[in-house]
Amino acid sequence: MPTRVTEEFKVSMLKILDEEGNSDDSLKPELTDYQIKQLYELMILTRTFDDLALKLQREGRIGTYPPSRGQEATQVASAYALEASDWLFPAFRECGAYITKGWPMDMQYQYWAGDDRGSKLPENSHIFTISIPVGTQIPHAVGFAWAAKLRGDKIAVLAYLGDGATSEGDVHEGMNFAGVFKVPVVLLCQNNQWAISVPRSRQTAAKTLAQRAYSYGFEGIQVDGNDVFAVYKATKDALDKARSGNGPTLIECVTYRMADHTTSDDAQRYRTSQELEEWAKRDPIERLRKYMKKNSLWSSEYENKVQTEASEKVRVAIEKFESAKPPEVRDLFAWTYAELPPNLTKQYEELARSVGGGD
Amino acid sequence: MPIDFKFPDIGEGITEGEIVKWQVKEGDRVEEHQTIASIETDKAIADIPSPRSGIILKIHHKEGDIVKVGETLVTIGEQNETIEKLPELPSRPTASVVGVLEEPHTVSPRPTRIAATPATRRLARELAVDLTEIPGTGLQGRITEDDIRKFARSKKERIEVATKPAEKRDTYGCYDVVPMKGVRRSTAKKMVESFRTAVHVTHMDEADVTELIAFREKQNKIAEKRGVHLTYMPFILKAVVAALKQYPYLNSSVDDEHEEIILKKYYNIGVAADTPDGLIVPVVKDADQKDIFTVAQEIQNLTEKAQSREIVLSDLKGGTFTITNIGFIGGTHATPITNYPETAILATGRIRETPVVRDGQIVIRSIMPLSLSFDHRVTDGALAARFVNMIMKFMQDPSLLL
Amino acid sequence: METELTQLNLVGAVRLALKQEMERDPDVVVLGEDVGIDGGVFRATEGLIKEFGENRVIDTPLSESGIVGVAIGLALYGLKPVAEIQFEGFLYPALDQIISHVGRIRNRSRGRFHVPLVIRFPYGGGIRAPEHHSDSPEALLVHTPGIKVVTPSTPYDAKGLLASAIRDPDPVLFMEPKRIYRAIVEDVPEDGYTVPLGEAKIVSEGTDVTLVSWGAMVRYSNEAAETVKDRISVEVVDLRTLSPMDTATITKSVEKTGRAVVVHEAPRTAGLGAEITAVINETAFLSLEAPVERVTGFDVPFPQHKLENYYLPNTERIVKAIEKVANF
Repeated sequence: MPTRVTEEFKVSMLKILDEEGNSDDSLKPELTDYQIKQLYELMILTRTFDDLALKLQREGRIGTYPPSRGQEATQVASAYALEASDWLFPAFRECGAYITKGWPMDMQYQYWAGDDRGSKLPENSHIFTISIPVGTQIPHAVGFAWAAKLRGDKIAVLAYLGDGATSEGDVHEGMNFAGVFKVPVVLLCQNNQWAISVPRSRQTAAKTLAQRAYSYGFEGIQVDGNDVFAVYKATKDALDKARSGNGPTLIECVTYRMADHTTSDDAQRYRTSQELEEWAKRDPIERLRKYMKKNSLWSSEYENKVQTEASEKVRVAIEKFESAKPPEVRDLFAWTYAELPPNLTKQYEELARSVGGGD
Repeated sequence: MPIDFKFPDIGEGITEGEIVKWQVKEGDRVEEHQTIASIETDKAIADIPSPRSGIILKIHHKEGDIVKVGETLVTIGEQNETIEKLPELPSRPTASVVGVLEEPHTVSPRPTRIAATPATRRLARELAVDLTEIPGTGLQGRITEDDIRKFARSKKERIEVATKPAEKRDTYGCYDVVPMKGVRRSTAKKMVESFRTAVHVTHMDEADVTELIAFREKQNKIAEKRGVHLTYMPFILKAVVAALKQYPYLNSSVDDEHEEIILKKYYNIGVAADTPDGLIVPVVKDADQKDIFTVAQEIQNLTEKAQSREIVLSDLKGGTFTITNIGFIGGTHATPITNYPETAILATGRIRETPVVRDGQIVIRSIMPLSLSFDHRVTDGALAARFVNMIMKFMQDPSLLL
Repeated sequence: METELTQLNLVGAVRLALKQEMERDPDVVVLGEDVGIDGGVFRATEGLIKEFGENRVIDTPLSESGIVGVAIGLALYGLKPVAEIQFEGFLYPALDQIISHVGRIRNRSRGRFHVPLVIRFPYGGGIRAPEHHSDSPEALLVHTPGIKVVTPSTPYDAKGLLASAIRDPDPVLFMEPKRIYRAIVEDVPEDGYTVPLGEAKIVSEGTDVTLVSWGAMVRYSNEAAETVKDRISVEVVDLRTLSPMDTATITKSVEKTGRAVVVHEAPRTAGLGAEITAVINETAFLSLEAPVERVTGFDVPFPQHKLENYYLPNTERIVKAIEKVANF
């Protein structure tokens, strides 16, 4: 009997804006000049926030920090596509997305300085907490989106993960649930080529990460992660699709982690400077700047203004975070349960006595 | 104010680094976040930025030095600021200032292992019995509760019988030796401690308790129905508590080491009891929160327990002020010694019918002598006098106490 | 007002509690492997899908970590998921989600988010099952901050405790002793009632020895107490909630008796018997007439069933322990 092909799939890569700043108008998403400027300004703000974070760490003012340099387009443009009622489920390296969606910068610094109060996001801020164990946030995002569907609420959830995360079991299990129950979630994989020192090629033998989606019965696409327009369009389309009940999408944003894994890492031990130089040419901010220059949206005064405003916003955020009162002894115990059970009351009293205070 | 910028842990547990190059020199003005040094750790060479703007007043290490995390790299400040050693903030002392009753058998190391369960040991402590003196009749030679009770009873008898110790002689004649043990011994120690540390002064006065006598009679009828016998002590106690609230320095103790007066905000009043074994002072805790009848009941219970030697350590601890009534035996004024570490004690003498002058007439009134010994390091005579006046005010108009 | 009583075994009590809670609160959803059409491998969810539909009683893929992780997401949104893990031996893949997130989200977000999730699973040995179907992992769970751990020993308690667990704003690990799923039948009130979490129960009062236990072992503890009652008066305490533990009841009982025995199936080292001994040491030391005795499983993997009876504590072993402390 002739062999029948039971299933086939194709993975394509979406590119709209090239490295010289030329845009393919047939694919370009609908964005006003104002919106394009917003995207630019958000990316500059992201880079400023991120650079300062590294300095703060070296000054002993915050703890270990994972920088996002080089991934500004992936983070900002994707989060920019979210509606106000949509939710964002982070991994941990998405400060551009957090800034865009509304996690106050001072609270982000507070979190990285080791103060959990930074994670107590305001009610209208639809961002879940950072997930340090890699990939474990995917089932949370899927469950959350699923609940919205069960309730009949028309929202979508944007969940971030890295290339390393795609090897974790929870990501597999979460994506599987998403496919089975046709959940309104968009999974955005920031493939920045490195999981600490392990290159993308060691993470899986599959040619793309996007194709994983087909194992779970839904679509996966690749996107040039340093192309704001492509990232924005792909994310927006996927979110719309999810919100209208047509299920999940996996978007693989191909980008590059320009800095070390975290402030405790030294990438020079495992990467070549050649590779860095290659990717520097594809810098997302520079690319958009070139486009804006070509389309009369940019001037050196404008650049100055944007940079100054960004520096000022970050400076204010640092000041605010550093002027917060230190957390209290009681905070160690008060948030474990809805109410302090007897064993914790006892332990709190014991500790409060020995530090000669407590409230 | 100049700050010392200390080398932070920049890499999850690094302990030290080598200064490869200084990017600034002393006297340079730097901006916040400007790189000031390159330091090599086992992870990488890191650029260290300045945590604030200012002038580099002093560089504490040279290139090539190994700096440990936490050591000062540079001092940053403004022109003309000198680098003074910032004073060390004194840490909050955790030592308690409440004196410790001599607790028999707790800390002295025993030469031989004593087989007794925790519950048995507690009983021994409560009855002030030395476990090393008791032969155990339990399993494997263990000391049982029966063993302890028997021993305690026989000890009591022995003390009574032991008024016939062996006859001894010295150059002048015969004498007896009585070892200082148990309650006698702890009392002696406490008296010395109190006398040694406090500067004792006694303020004396006389309270007109004529109204109180009538009041007590009336209240006693109510009390008897509750099974409580009301003496004068509950009234005196409540009057003392009311006065202590206005004069907190009389409800205190002294921390000699730190030269601090500890003003207690709780009111645990000791009521001295004379027992066959000696002077014991059980404590009525939180007397301010208890009504007259509760106080009376408690005094009754505690005194009974003290008399039958069933009192437990926790009943004897935590006092903030003591009242001692010698009047039931006799006497007017006295110069009592404070119950260390308390700083005041009130002695009450025998109530006597006494002629006094009121509005130019001689009338007979019932008078109770009061003697307040206090620690003059903490309280001055004038304050002591006012305190006693207030006690008397309450005693003379007892309806204020209910 | 007459309370209607009905004869129920433990699994039936669980089923009735689920039904009533789902009727009471439309946010309660049940999910797990085989819980829908099949009604659960122990029939704990039988009939529920018919009454509440497939959007509230959901058959999931075979994916324990996924089940718990997704249930966290459901709970974050505002639903009250009751996730079933088929056997305690399959809880282990989900331990990362439980330890890393279920117990931490409220704390991490300073109360901004919380996880009102119940994870229920059968546990314990004695049913001659294949490997991985007989463990007692409660020590791992009690050692995890931020979650509550509950285990009923009777149908009455099962129904009331599960209702409380579902209504609790904090996550609850509900451990159902499978050995007594059907073995104990008793009158249970038909209407909705709750048994509070965090409260132990004095099953029978006594003056000489305190016997602390939970789950399937309570039955054998009762038998042991009955066996010795003519010479030793035993007070049997059923903890019911393992975290937060009602240590006050244990303390009060040991202060009265001065002697204690703890019984659990789980392996001895670092089992909850050690924790209870530490608690008694801290709070009732001066009352002790004898060291606390533990009757437990052994520090070996739970055996296949031919050796099961050597492993599990039984009435004789408990009686010996009672006698040991009584005669110390």
